[in-house]
Amino acid sequence: MEIIILPLILSLLAAFTGSKINKTVWGLLSFVSLFAMVYMKQHYGIHNDGVWHNTFDVPWFSNGIHFTLGIDGLTGLMILLTNLLVPIIILSIQTDKQKSLIPLILFMQAALNGVFMAKDGLMFYIFWELALIPIYFICLLYSSKDAFKTTIKFFIYTFVGSLAMLASLIYLYLKTENHSFAYEELLSVQLNYTESIWVGAGFLFAFAVKIPIFPFHSWQANTYTNAPAQGSMLLSGIMLKMGLYGLLRWFMPMAGESIAFFQPIVIILAVIGIIYGAVIAIKQNDLKRLIAFSSLSHVGLIAAGFMTLSAVGIQGGVLQMFVHGINVVALFYIVEIIESHAGSRELSQLGGLAKFNRLFAALYLIVVLGTAAVPLTNGFPGELLLLKSVFDYNTITGVFAGLTIILCAVYMLRMYQFSMLGEGKASLNEIGLLKMIPLLILVALVIFIGVCPQVIIDQISPSIQKIMLEISNSKGVLS
Amino acid sequence: MIGILIVFIGAVLVLFLGLNKPEGGMKTLSSLVLFLAGVLSLLESLSILNFEMLSNWAPKNMIDFSKGDLMFVSLLAFVTAAIIAIFPTVEEKGSDRLGLMMLSLTGAFMMIGADHLVMLFLGIEVLSIPLYVLAGSDKHNLRSNEAAIKYFLMGAFSTAIFLLGCAFIYGGSGSLSLSEISLRMSIVGHLSEFPALIKVGVILMSTGLLFKVSAFPFHFWAPDVYEGSPNKVTTFMAVIVKIAGFVAFANYLQAFEALATWYSKWLIILAVCTIIFGNIAAISQKTVKRTLAYSSIAHAGYLLLFLITPMKANMWILFAYSVAYALSTVVLFYFNDKYSTKKEYGFGMFSGLLKNNQSATILMVISLFSIAGIPVTVGFTAKYYLFTSAFEVSPLAVGIALLGSAISIMYYFKAFKPMFESVETNTNETHASKIHFVVYLMVAASVIFGMFPYLFERCF
Repeated sequence: MEIIILPLILSLLAAFTGSKINKTVWGLLSFVSLFAMVYMKQHYGIHNDGVWHNTFDVPWFSNGIHFTLGIDGLTGLMILLTNLLVPIIILSIQTDKQKSLIPLILFMQAALNGVFMAKDGLMFYIFWELALIPIYFICLLYSSKDAFKTTIKFFIYTFVGSLAMLASLIYLYLKTENHSFAYEELLSVQLNYTESIWVGAGFLFAFAVKIPIFPFHSWQANTYTNAPAQGSMLLSGIMLKMGLYGLLRWFMPMAGESIAFFQPIVIILAVIGIIYGAVIAIKQNDLKRLIAFSSLSHVGLIAAGFMTLSAVGIQGGVLQMFVHGINVVALFYIVEIIESHAGSRELSQLGGLAKFNRLFAALYLIVVLGTAAVPLTNGFPGELLLLKSVFDYNTITGVFAGLTIILCAVYMLRMYQFSMLGEGKASLNEIGLLKMIPLLILVALVIFIGVCPQVIIDQISPSIQKIMLEISNSKGVLS
Repeated sequence: MIGILIVFIGAVLVLFLGLNKPEGGMKTLSSLVLFLAGVLSLLESLSILNFEMLSNWAPKNMIDFSKGDLMFVSLLAFVTAAIIAIFPTVEEKGSDRLGLMMLSLTGAFMMIGADHLVMLFLGIEVLSIPLYVLAGSDKHNLRSNEAAIKYFLMGAFSTAIFLLGCAFIYGGSGSLSLSEISLRMSIVGHLSEFPALIKVGVILMSTGLLFKVSAFPFHFWAPDVYEGSPNKVTTFMAVIVKIAGFVAFANYLQAFEALATWYSKWLIILAVCTIIFGNIAAISQKTVKRTLAYSSIAHAGYLLLFLITPMKANMWILFAYSVAYALSTVVLFYFNDKYSTKKEYGFGMFSGLLKNNQSATILMVISLFSIAGIPVTVGFTAKYYLFTSAFEVSPLAVGIALLGSAISIMYYFKAFKPMFESVETNTNETHASKIHFVVYLMVAASVIFGMFPYLFERCF
């Protein structure tokens, strides 16, 4: 509860003080939620039983709908990601002109924490929708061009998806014995095959739009490109993870009976997305578009790994969710710095920036290597586990998914080469040290997770085992 | 009972005291009278005050307000008070407009409390006749005249059909009292044993009421009439007539509960058509008023879904939806009235609103969210309750309703484009002008009811 209330209070304060207080102060203040979160984790203790502990529980709507929040290893990792990235995103704001940006980001932080902690179906839906509102306004108010058209497409797309999820949740709710939205109650519902396919399709549609899985990705590239850098960071760094988290936590255990039906479809679509995203990323000139498509490719692999239902795939996927959040935010941060200091984010306009700032070039390179999953960077362990799981599931899909390593190296290195090396077409102004600090934090994490990924895997594996047990229970109903 | 008396006496007072006076003179008095009626009805419904003496004086088999009915009475009284308070008055108009509005509200109360088909018919007439006058009250405007004649012809026609339905029901059941009919129907029991006269009667009566609530296929008068009438009257029609119509609809259908399986499958079809038609037609509208008119048709579709659920225990859901619909519709019509000019009455009227008036922007955004059904507003809560209860009867219809609310985003959010546009021109004076405090209260209420949804069940 603390980490929902705190950002909300900060958000209100930020809205009322306007731009009187420097944005750096807000960035530092927003670290408070991170501390609150760490304290909460200590207080409730993520025991190695993998149980989703209640941290807050009061009755809310009419009977059966409770305001329940919980924490376990998976939730803990997701809220750690959220509360770690939000201060960095706030620190990345370059101008003081965007007055309502900070309140919106803080509001979004509260909603995102709610999504990851909600233990009640309706609460999950409400927070899911609430997270959409601030990002909608961030994109609408500060987009570069064509704002209304792209944002309304994005909004309607995701809104239709979440309504489908609401329908599934209501169906499950009406099936529970004493009409309750509690997570455990919804889990215990037994569906027949046809029902489970409809319910599963509702969930899957919502999550596939959010992740996005090919062919539901068409909102993504334009929204990312037109959104302000902070919006892109929030969208790709954290909001995508909502979809993946929902897939793992809500879709797979709830509609487990239908997994056998959806498994090949989702894996094949995800693998198509992996290659499709990567191939398009190779051709891009705009850095933001490039990252958007690379993101499509990466999350496709995570979704495929989840759907293999193997412990390896799910562990690798959860690890990769965290890692992808860090890498993609770092990449967007770098693009933001290049755009504001070199004046352009088109690859054809850039080049030879490395000689102006060696430290920046080095940090940039590490992030690029991390994204391309070079050993000893954070991308490697997750991607290895994911590829192994997809390979185990089916050799052919494994081979195609494996192409991601090569293709990713191609577009990432191409991006680095054309922006930083070679003949200089642009010059880089002086970058203040303050602006480098967030990037330094992210790069430190890239290397730290690359060297000892076990720290995170130890945190999450008990709760992953629990979830896998729930999935197999729910699958077992059929056989 | 107290509410109907106060409003009626108030209406007569306003009519006579306001003779030859401009509209502004009677504004405070009439909104205070309505507010008083609302408070007293609310207290009576919560059993804090007791007006049994008055209730005994009225014939029980004709009109009888249950606790739930009183909640609706107080809601309608408050909303009318708000409409009269927030809309600006026109100097050259007489104060008879306010009197007529209150008289029409009396009719709405009669419809809500009616326990007898004659009373229901009287209520519909008392509601409608002042409205025919009000629709044409902007008499130098050709469109207002058109609205009045259209509304009058359609209204007269539909009440005639309604009356014919009453006659058939009397022929089939031998009674006009709803509780008596309900009793006789429950004795007969089997669907096949009912005389066909009753079914015909139900169809004809429903037709009359569907006209009033502007549901498919009797919706076509609504956009023209809404557009032509003066803004204040349009708001009154969109909110009061619709809510009173649905309460009356629910009350009378309850008497025919034995026929529920038969009529609900027709109602589902009508609801689905209304939702699809209202939402799709709204997308292409150019003026704000017509968009809101079609949106009100779409909402009539959602409300029709309520009629297929077990109604007696669920009246609070209808109440919740009415509150949600009333709060946001009144606020949106208010802003439409405030910012529209002779030249600009499309969405362009909101151009650059964010720059000129931030609080107005926030109020409008919240109201649009509420009417579109986005969480933590009362609009979401109401839709959630309504759809969950209808889901048990017809999942498919609810699916289409959900799709309809997704489509509705397209036209509700159309207002955001001009609102957040950066404009070069200097401050726009109409935009910068102050907003009535009641609007703030209404928007605050729609957030508070959204956050604490159990208030509805507690009150009922």
